[in-house]
Amino acid sequence: MEFVIELLSATMRLATPIALAAMGAAVCERSGIVNIAMEGLMLIGAFFAAAVALATGSPWLGLLGGIIFGGLFSLLHAWSTVTLHINHTVSGAIINILAAGLTRFFMVEFYGHPGSSDMVQKTLGDINCAVPLLSKIPLLGPVLFDQSPTVYFMYFFVFFTTFLLNRTKLGLHIRAAGEHPMALETLGISVRKIRYIGVLYSGLLCGFAGSFLAIEYGRFFTEGMTGGRGFIALAANVSGGWTAVGSFVAALFFGFIDALQLKLQVMGIFKIPPEFFHMLPYAATVIAVAGLVRRSRPPADSGNDFSIEKEM
Amino acid sequence: MKKALLLLLVLSLGLSAVFASGGTETKKEAKLIAAMATDVGGLGDGSFNDGSYAGLQKAEADGIAEARVVESKQMTDYVPNLTGLAEDGANVVFAVGFLMADAIIEAAQNNPETKYAGIDIWVDPTTAPSNVLGISFNEHEAGYLAGIVAGYMTKEYASKSDRLNGDNVIGVVLGMDIPPCERYEVGFTAGARSVNPNVKVLQAVAGDFADQAKGKELTLAMIQQGADIVFQVAGLTGMGVIAAAQEEGTLAIGVDVDQYAAAPEAVLTSAMKGITEATYQTIQSVADGSFKGATNVSLGIKENAVGIAPYHNFDSIIPQAVKDAVNKAVADIKSGKITVPATRAEL
Repeated sequence: MEFVIELLSATMRLATPIALAAMGAAVCERSGIVNIAMEGLMLIGAFFAAAVALATGSPWLGLLGGIIFGGLFSLLHAWSTVTLHINHTVSGAIINILAAGLTRFFMVEFYGHPGSSDMVQKTLGDINCAVPLLSKIPLLGPVLFDQSPTVYFMYFFVFFTTFLLNRTKLGLHIRAAGEHPMALETLGISVRKIRYIGVLYSGLLCGFAGSFLAIEYGRFFTEGMTGGRGFIALAANVSGGWTAVGSFVAALFFGFIDALQLKLQVMGIFKIPPEFFHMLPYAATVIAVAGLVRRSRPPADSGNDFSIEKEM
Repeated sequence: MKKALLLLLVLSLGLSAVFASGGTETKKEAKLIAAMATDVGGLGDGSFNDGSYAGLQKAEADGIAEARVVESKQMTDYVPNLTGLAEDGANVVFAVGFLMADAIIEAAQNNPETKYAGIDIWVDPTTAPSNVLGISFNEHEAGYLAGIVAGYMTKEYASKSDRLNGDNVIGVVLGMDIPPCERYEVGFTAGARSVNPNVKVLQAVAGDFADQAKGKELTLAMIQQGADIVFQVAGLTGMGVIAAAQEEGTLAIGVDVDQYAAAPEAVLTSAMKGITEATYQTIQSVADGSFKGATNVSLGIKENAVGIAPYHNFDSIIPQAVKDAVNKAVADIKSGKITVPATRAEL
């Protein structure tokens, strides 16, 4: 029982950054912009979360800093893909490289050395947010309701993102921008603006995910600490069928396999090479994408450049 | 479009010509150029890359050589970087990290005039070119000392700190399952068992040297199994080990350099190796002509090249008996009375 609770709690922790970024990707791609820059956006978010938390001593301000800088940096992707009409994949790849270089540069500028920052004394992870009563439910209580703050924010965003996409006018516009931008434009609504909003939304959530890694899950900013989670989030979004709930479930699946391989390694009951364990989450992702993706349909105009001048 | 590309090409050629001429100017001033290529961990790993660079900087400060460094972004950069440094005039090139073992041989064959030295690399003396030297460390000896401290503290002296429990379990988190990490782990296990035969040593491999979250999750799993001291042999991934110890009220042991400053309340000690000194001495040997290739040096306690860090905050908590045991082990390893196992097979 103890083991199951620990395993599922670890699943939630490992799934949170992926779920947040994947939900951002869902909105971004539904608006028509492919966002492979999420790895870099998360890294920027992680750095500024740690930097602000170290400078102010407040993890909440750190979180705010991470979100804001994640959002600001994503505008670069929006600008290059929407305004400059650069290929989305190229822009995303450049931003990932830029983010890795910039965080390193800032490390040297701010702390005098690359690598890892000073320890954040008070992190969001130190704030105990066990929900009264709910956390007492056997099994599910401690797993779902005895977590650190961002995990609850993640729950909130599952509902909020679903609501935004399916129940609001803005959501309708976002979906239209990704399915049939010309139709939206002829209604007098700027596809550019909607796509900027879509990218910004993913940037803010990536900043959130990065902050979680640096000042809630961890206590340091370390270079390259996102460890490919931005790309896994992209896969989670695809296998989740470009929906918030689907992204969340896919992230949980990946988190579960990852938690399982880590726990099994420590228990040391299977004498097999560790590389086999390392492979598991990724292999599972490939299988999930291959198995589930056939039934999901990408937004029709996702990844395509839109320019009203050309369409006329 | 084609014109723009052409312009770009011309510009970049022009620029590289400017930089290249800049390079030759500085070459005239220094008598020796010592260069290094980092592995993918890059500078700032708080480990062998930083340690080697410090050795280069020391040599530069002492006026022996001019220091140069290039960072490798991926493994395919290794050969071009090692070769490029030689072509740019370096007299001695350091390849830093076990994962560059094949690259250094290839680069050394291509540049027979340049001396190559590999940190954490073992070269085959029968086949290696005569300009390449392998430098490895007896990490197992440093691990052994850390293991003695952990083996005592986790059981016999568990009452000394409320960060310890009576479960008699300790752990090791490896970055990757490669020989230098394995040596630390095996030495640590052997050291702990030498003073505490029933101690349970948990082991796990993160598969990554930069993923803090993985290091933390593995450590949490170990703590859940009763571990109260976890030895990190995982570079930046190990920062997660230290973070977990800090939060859960347990202890961590640092690696390669004294990591006390990362979390003064949670870092018991660190297992260290003197990469800086080894790099510096190799540069000296090139400068005075005593450099000898196609061979290996392995540096251990005997050469004062590995050891454990001061206990800092734990100086008053760790009993004198433990400190004496560590000092005795140092003496015994030096005199050859103890041979520390280096591989899991020997354990």
